[in-house]
Amino acid sequence: MPPLPPTRQLIPLAIAGFAVTAIVAFILVVLFMSWFSNPPFGWGNAPDQPIGFPHTVHAGSAEEGGHAIQCEFCHRNVTTGAAATVPAVEVCVICHKQINGSNVTASAREQIEEISPDQLVDIQRVLDRHAESRPIDWERVHRMPDHVRFVHEAHLRFLTQGEPRTVTLPVGDEKPINLPVTVPEACSVCHGDVANMEEVQPQQGQSLKMGTCLDCHRENDVSTDCTVCHK
Amino acid sequence: MKLTRRNFLAWAGIAATGAIACDLFDDELRVQSPALIPEDLVKGRDNWYATYDPSVPGGQSILVRVMEGRAKKVRGNPRFPTNQGKQSAAADAVLQSLYHPDRIAGPMLRNGPRGSGRYRAIGWDEALNRFRAAVDDRGDGMLLITEAQCAGFAHICQVFAEAFGGRHLRYDGLDDSAYGAAVQDVLGTTRMPWHDIAHAETLVSFGSDFLSTWGNPTAYSVAYGKFRSKEHRGRHIHFGSRYSLTAANADKWVPIAPGSEGYAAMALGWAVATSHPESSYVQAVTGEAGPGALSGFSPDAMAGMLQIPEAALDGENINRFFEHLAHDYVAHGGLAIGGGGEAGAYSNGKFNASAALMLNYLLGNVGKSGGMQPDAGAPIGSAPRNAPPATLRDWRQAVSEINAGRARMVIVHNADPVYGLPSGVGIREALSNENLAVISASPFLDETAAMADLIIPDRAGLENWGDDAPNPAPGYKVYAVQQPVVNPLPDLDPRSFPDILLSSAADLGRGDMVPAASYEELIRANIAELGADFTEALKNGGWWDEGDTARGADPPSGLLDSVAGMASMPQVQGSGDFQLQPFAHHTLLDGRNAHLPWAQSTPDPLTTVAWQTWVDINYTQGKNMGLREGDVVNITTANGSIQALVYLNPASPPGIAAVPMGGGRQIGSDYATGRDARESSNVMSILTVAEADGSGGLAWSANRCTITPANDSMPVSKLEGGYTSREVGAHPAEQVFKSVTDGEGH
Amino acid sequence: MPNAEFMHKWGMVVDLDKCTGCQACVIACQAENNIPINTKDYFLQKRAYEWIRIERYWEGEYPNTKARFMPILCQHCENAPCEPVCPVYATYHNEEGLNVQVYNRCVGTRYCINNCPYQVRMFNFWHPNWPARLENQLNPDVTVRTRGITEKCTFCVQRLRRGEIEVEARGGQRLTDERITGGNYDPACVQACPTNALMFGDLVDDNAAIKPYFDDVNANPGHGEHDRVTRGYRLLEEMNTRPSVIYLKKVDQYPLASGGGH
Repeated sequence: MPPLPPTRQLIPLAIAGFAVTAIVAFILVVLFMSWFSNPPFGWGNAPDQPIGFPHTVHAGSAEEGGHAIQCEFCHRNVTTGAAATVPAVEVCVICHKQINGSNVTASAREQIEEISPDQLVDIQRVLDRHAESRPIDWERVHRMPDHVRFVHEAHLRFLTQGEPRTVTLPVGDEKPINLPVTVPEACSVCHGDVANMEEVQPQQGQSLKMGTCLDCHRENDVSTDCTVCHK
Repeated sequence: MKLTRRNFLAWAGIAATGAIACDLFDDELRVQSPALIPEDLVKGRDNWYATYDPSVPGGQSILVRVMEGRAKKVRGNPRFPTNQGKQSAAADAVLQSLYHPDRIAGPMLRNGPRGSGRYRAIGWDEALNRFRAAVDDRGDGMLLITEAQCAGFAHICQVFAEAFGGRHLRYDGLDDSAYGAAVQDVLGTTRMPWHDIAHAETLVSFGSDFLSTWGNPTAYSVAYGKFRSKEHRGRHIHFGSRYSLTAANADKWVPIAPGSEGYAAMALGWAVATSHPESSYVQAVTGEAGPGALSGFSPDAMAGMLQIPEAALDGENINRFFEHLAHDYVAHGGLAIGGGGEAGAYSNGKFNASAALMLNYLLGNVGKSGGMQPDAGAPIGSAPRNAPPATLRDWRQAVSEINAGRARMVIVHNADPVYGLPSGVGIREALSNENLAVISASPFLDETAAMADLIIPDRAGLENWGDDAPNPAPGYKVYAVQQPVVNPLPDLDPRSFPDILLSSAADLGRGDMVPAASYEELIRANIAELGADFTEALKNGGWWDEGDTARGADPPSGLLDSVAGMASMPQVQGSGDFQLQPFAHHTLLDGRNAHLPWAQSTPDPLTTVAWQTWVDINYTQGKNMGLREGDVVNITTANGSIQALVYLNPASPPGIAAVPMGGGRQIGSDYATGRDARESSNVMSILTVAEADGSGGLAWSANRCTITPANDSMPVSKLEGGYTSREVGAHPAEQVFKSVTDGEGH
Repeated sequence: MPNAEFMHKWGMVVDLDKCTGCQACVIACQAENNIPINTKDYFLQKRAYEWIRIERYWEGEYPNTKARFMPILCQHCENAPCEPVCPVYATYHNEEGLNVQVYNRCVGTRYCINNCPYQVRMFNFWHPNWPARLENQLNPDVTVRTRGITEKCTFCVQRLRRGEIEVEARGGQRLTDERITGGNYDPACVQACPTNALMFGDLVDDNAAIKPYFDDVNANPGHGEHDRVTRGYRLLEEMNTRPSVIYLKKVDQYPLASGGGH
């Protein structure tokens, strides 16, 4: 049996071995992150928003203490254009000039009592922004890669209009859905139950990989031409 | 950092080695919710707003696509009567002046010797105080130099300057004052006539490059498309000494000696009169004397002046050639255009332009469909008639006023006379006078702005109110409105220059002398005066009245005598083997667009050269001189010398050295200046200071020069030759470019 | 999302008799499609990006010289030579007659560029760079292509898609010539062309202005060229690439060096 090489000779070998391991690990991490990372596949935690906006309070059902505002009341471009759009501060103020800590009208009084002091601070921030005509920098939660064109309006039109029919969409638990549905129901097909999220989570109802888009397009006899979605 | 698939992977890898976080994408993931609900700030939606771009020749009404408060694309306004939904390359490039990296961000004060270009930023309060103090102190010696735009802006400048006892000068780098003087004499108006090319049957053009830079090239191109697509396809004959874009598009180009356009027009007039002696139009122009009155202008008598090459005469003698042209083509629905631009920039420029105008009277098309339509007048009556742009005579007077100390302050806005006037005028030296206060309101640094002590940057065109009376207008009154379609970017703080003038006048106790408190107010008043609705006018891009275009059908009495009396050959300055023919660059124009990367990178239509200054030399002549493409040559006139790269042009006439304007900027954006003197030079700087007769304009076409090799060469940056598809058709059996003659395969 | 009810086959007609070589289409295309600024170096290296370019040919000797202008853009061939050579299926012909380049599939072999007889495919040798402020102008409807991939004219597919959604899917009306032009769905070059030398339309629509030219050329292919009633022809017709772009011959009203007159 040959003698073991001196320790000193092992060092380069160890370095090489460590390097190979590091490179393999690096590649694995890169592949892992590119596949699962946010955006747009929903991974990670909800980002901190500059102003707390509880969807539960605004869009949640009345039985659970929400106001059941329809999605398209705030995301008002969703039925007319490509982007759903974040509302202007002015839209917030439509309600919040009534619903705030200081200026309590009779109609708003009973609702005011449900607002916590923390929330009043946030409301005041919104009103301040409006008074100063300063926009709010929201942190984006969902994001399409920049080579993808997604038109909300076209998808909502499919889900909320037309003859009554039953389809199975390859999202979520893939149960048959009776169309047409209401706009909030249509939104939740892809976005999950946002109305019950205190903070909107990047993890949506399901992963929205390209395969999901294609499955749905194929199943519903929509073109799968590349240029339909890619720009 | 743009998030693309590839750098996404790269960043994901880096993220993995460090902290696993997506903070790298912070900017990407921020979405601003607007404070109010302006419809153009809605994410993902666009709106098109009508506005106006006065910086291109003739002006263009444009629609701008605005998305999230940013201008994205320009297109022609389909409702507007001149450019009819179309835009030129230069108008598309106006977006780049909006988002240009070298825009001046805010007011600045000189911080070094004059002309050094060293400035420090100051606040608007200090800047305006300094501006008003200077106007208060030196207003009676004020020279307010602005671009050539007319209507409200010129009105404000003129009134402001006069309120303090100063003068307003409109700078036009494409000096066309000889044409203006001829139009004034023949048609009795200061504004250009409209040429109804679309309905003409035959078009004869004299020198002017109306498909590229003269008149309103985009509007004329729209008409040209209609002219070509009629059932009886329009025919176009061009007389000129340079192979311009217009010459290239003509069915027949007749090369003539430089500056002899007037004689060519007279020769054609002779042929029209001779072949139609009984024509009432001929009788009207000749004062019942008949064709005999034109006998002095028979082509053979002028053959020595016209110098038409034998090969261009279709194998006929010159009289027969002109008679053929007149009889077969021009006499039926003929329209003459031109005499201005490079054809007017001679000592005899007024004759060249007048002869071309008179030819229309001989053809009897004036005021008719398919003819020349004299201007209907400026649309706004209350505004004083805008004085014509300043001529060489005016500039020399201004320089002497500065040197004598009578002019004590110069305010300059979007005008660059230091670059665009021949160095012999001495305006750079005059502006260096330490006793003179120089203030610039241009949004970019250029040779003139860099002389300023104080810079108060104006807003860019798409951020500003404005208006114009397009010149030429399509035979009826047109008022164009320019509305602000975007706000300046947050890192920029420009202010509207006309509004500064109006508010300063009010602050200095002259408020009652200016027409309004703000430019917007003036535009509102103008629209109200026209009886139009303000919102509708903004939506349409302006107001117009498609009324009667029939006017001016009778020639002014004594027209023939006065035109014939002006007849002369141009006086040429200096000596040398070549006639130096500067011409307005297709997209850089007189150099005002030199800072725009799109304007620089647009290949010249004929040579396909971009970014460089070249000199067109006839291919055979150049070969005989031992020149090759890309050779650096010295172009020397009596007044100086520049260098340029040779482009051997098979169409360029021998003895002509055509050099585009717009190169050789010394100060300003890198896009304008970042090339050395061999490949980018300013042809205007070496011109002789010579006036055209009867107008005082600069005779910028009338210089002789020598061309000597500098024993140096550089690669020419051109599109041509970049694609092997050019060689696909090189096989002799294959016809790359297919053409048919009239009559077959329509 | 295209409406299955309306099929399209997009095509273009280029009237060489009306092209003045003014370059309006070139800059309109660059502004619409986020094409990087063509610096002087790009020109010197013969790598200028122009999805549509004006080729200029000289003909004849002075003084009877003619400059001929010819706008060249992707011909969207039905038998496209670029398609079969792509190893990763990054370029293909779609149902609407467009030759599509899928940037995300492209790995930059440049086989397609070498196989295209019209030289209309561009390779991104560099990362696209704009000064920070100029990025505000970029069109959000068009991807900024990264280094190392091939790009080319798309017939402004982003405008066509917009038209298909706004007019067909939402309005239930076919995109006719008038609706394409009225809604600004024409490709940027066609919209800009001052002389209307470029015409765009849908060959499935019988009323399209471009259709007679295609019918004529298709009815008299190859050596039947002389039987055509229009001036139409296809570039490099003998290669049988069947382009979706038809050129109309220049009319020489005043023949070079002839005996004058007509």
